[in-house]
Amino acid sequence: MFFYYLDLAWRSIKKTPFLSLLMVLAISIGIGITITTLNIYQMASINPAGERSSKLFEVRLWSQGIDTWSRLNQQITYQDGFNLRKSPVPVRQTPMFMTGFAVQTDDPEFTPVLENARVTDRDFFGLFSVPFLYGGAWDKQVDSEPAYQVVISEELNKQVFAGENSVGKTLYLNRKPYQIVGVTKTWNPSPKYYDVNNGAFNDAEKIFVPYSLAPTEEYQSWGNNQSWRNEPMDTYAQRLASEAHWNQYWVELDNPEQIRAYEEWLANYIEQQKLLGRFEMPDAKAEIADVAQWLKVNKVVPEDNKILVGLSALFLIVCLVNMLGLLLAKFLKRAPEIGVRRAIGASQTQIFSQHMVEVGLIGFCGGVLGLLWAWGSLSLLSAHFELEDALTQLGYSMWVLAPSIAIIAALLAGIYPAWRICSTNPSVHLKSQ
Amino acid sequence: MLSMKNISKVFKTDLVETHALREFNLEVNEGEFVAVTGPSGSGKTTFLNIAGLLEGFTQGDYFLDGVNISNLSDNKSAAIRNEKIGFIFQGFNLIPDLNLAENVEVPLRYRGFNAKERKRRVQHALEQVGLAARMKHLPSQLSGGQQQRVAIARALAGEPRFLLADEPTGNLDSMMARQVMELLEEINKAGTTIIMVTHDPELARRAQRNIQIVDGQVCDFTMYQGGERTIEKPHLVTGSQEPSNQDKVAS
Ligand SMILES: Nc1ncnc2c1ncn2[C@@H]1O[C@H](COP(=O)(O)OP(=O)(O)OP(=O)(O)O)[C@@H](O)[C@H]1O
Ligand SMILES: [Mg+2]
Repeated sequence: MFFYYLDLAWRSIKKTPFLSLLMVLAISIGIGITITTLNIYQMASINPAGERSSKLFEVRLWSQGIDTWSRLNQQITYQDGFNLRKSPVPVRQTPMFMTGFAVQTDDPEFTPVLENARVTDRDFFGLFSVPFLYGGAWDKQVDSEPAYQVVISEELNKQVFAGENSVGKTLYLNRKPYQIVGVTKTWNPSPKYYDVNNGAFNDAEKIFVPYSLAPTEEYQSWGNNQSWRNEPMDTYAQRLASEAHWNQYWVELDNPEQIRAYEEWLANYIEQQKLLGRFEMPDAKAEIADVAQWLKVNKVVPEDNKILVGLSALFLIVCLVNMLGLLLAKFLKRAPEIGVRRAIGASQTQIFSQHMVEVGLIGFCGGVLGLLWAWGSLSLLSAHFELEDALTQLGYSMWVLAPSIAIIAALLAGIYPAWRICSTNPSVHLKSQ
Repeated sequence: MLSMKNISKVFKTDLVETHALREFNLEVNEGEFVAVTGPSGSGKTTFLNIAGLLEGFTQGDYFLDGVNISNLSDNKSAAIRNEKIGFIFQGFNLIPDLNLAENVEVPLRYRGFNAKERKRRVQHALEQVGLAARMKHLPSQLSGGQQQRVAIARALAGEPRFLLADEPTGNLDSMMARQVMELLEEINKAGTTIIMVTHDPELARRAQRNIQIVDGQVCDFTMYQGGERTIEKPHLVTGSQEPSNQDKVAS
């Protein structure tokens, strides 16, 4: 029966091509806009760490003094970053911050380039499951005994070494020679959850250097720096010893026991620091947040996006109300034919189904066309408004979502017209012929 | 086969109540060919619509083939219409977008027959009305008489026990009308019960039994004895004993 209804629906659409096109357009525009905003929303709220999301935790510490910041800050101080590494609890852990270098090679022809870099421990690569193309991370030892070693990204490797295996080669960072130990395979979590302070949808850094080198090399912070009090920051040593927040800290905890143990360890740490005169707030505390919580805390999905999705859904409803009117006109014009069908044995249910199938078909066409609109508007957004690529890529789920929403929406709009036509008394229309 | 007792039908609109049928009584036996006449507005179409389960009634009892028709669900009455009843309308009421075969196929679709069975029945029904060769034509490509024959084929395709025709020849000239009438007579001969509303006394006279509806009631009740079929089916004579209308029976 379904295919009979589908056949009838197709004939009906062909019979009134203009009206049908109008309805398909109405619904497709609504769907196009809804899918566009939904796509941006979904892409922004995607959890980039996947299944490891619940094992990775960002650490925050209430190290600020009394009467300053009223909530936990997203970053921590260098000294806390340095100290937290001593905890035996986490499976993996790493402090980090963002910096940048002028990059050069042995090749005098090579024009130096300026690149972002991340200063971190070896565990960074394990924590975030960074894949390697060549080589690997530096040895654990380097985290305590500084060595001039560097991991670079596939992209930089292409740019500088034409994509060859560059492990063992030398890269000059701010004129200092570093030995390349690993080349990461393209890796670009979006959002860049391990450091949302510095552009949640920016690309990952292309250079990684050991955290242990920071005091000697005096890496400048290229990221956010937050201070809650005035302190002298003339020398790098002063900066390292300051209460300014410019480091991030991530740990991997595999089970609830570890989580509890680590929270306890952090509480003890704060107590110790209080003895040293830091953490002045009486109820100073530590908090850890897994990736999903972390993205929420940082409002990586801005409130605006939700409003936008809501607005576009409203717009879709307007489109549907339009469609409802058109459907009603179209269906009621067909009343005499339906009268005949009823007279020769079609039940109300069958007539209702026939019309719902027709509406569903229109919805499906609208959904497919709407997907095209969404694709177009996303390309336009990325071309003219410099929205990040990660947000304007049409997600695969939209291929299913768009037609589904369209069909459901169309069916909703079709219920009343289909009910009207199936419940009118057939004899009335039989006489009128 | 069809039994209506004290059926009444009231149409209520904002201003007026129309009593389309009042204490309407009728028995029709299997195999009869009943012609219904009466002045315009007397309730003939209303009676036919009620008989065909297209419309409900306000009061009374209606049994069709032993089934009590009051309070049937829509699904059930649709199924009865589909399986037991064939309709023929004055305006033919073919679906203009469907070709002849597809038009005839419509009731078979709702009946749930498979493609092969549908094809066989469509072929057979169109052959019966002599239009099998024009299967792929659209209704608009046919004359009125031919369209009515297609409508008859559509009514026949489901092999109904019961054919209801509302002025089937009303829109046709006398030649075409006669053709259609002959077709109906053949169908009746093959065993299908027919109730036909007509304004044409000539045609009415050809039926075995005439009833007249005046003002919503069965008023005149005539057995037309001229045809040979009354001799073939003598039981119809007993069928003429319309219980509640005996006073109105004319000889
Ligand atoms: N849907 C309706 N609403 C209100 N009144 C109706 C309706 N259908 C029929 N009537 C009234 O019921 C009465 C009987 O109508 P019906 O159509 O049965 O007459 P008829 O005998 O078929 O007439 P005709 O020979 O002109 O076709 C008429 O007075 C008509 O106005
Ligand atoms: Mg009438």
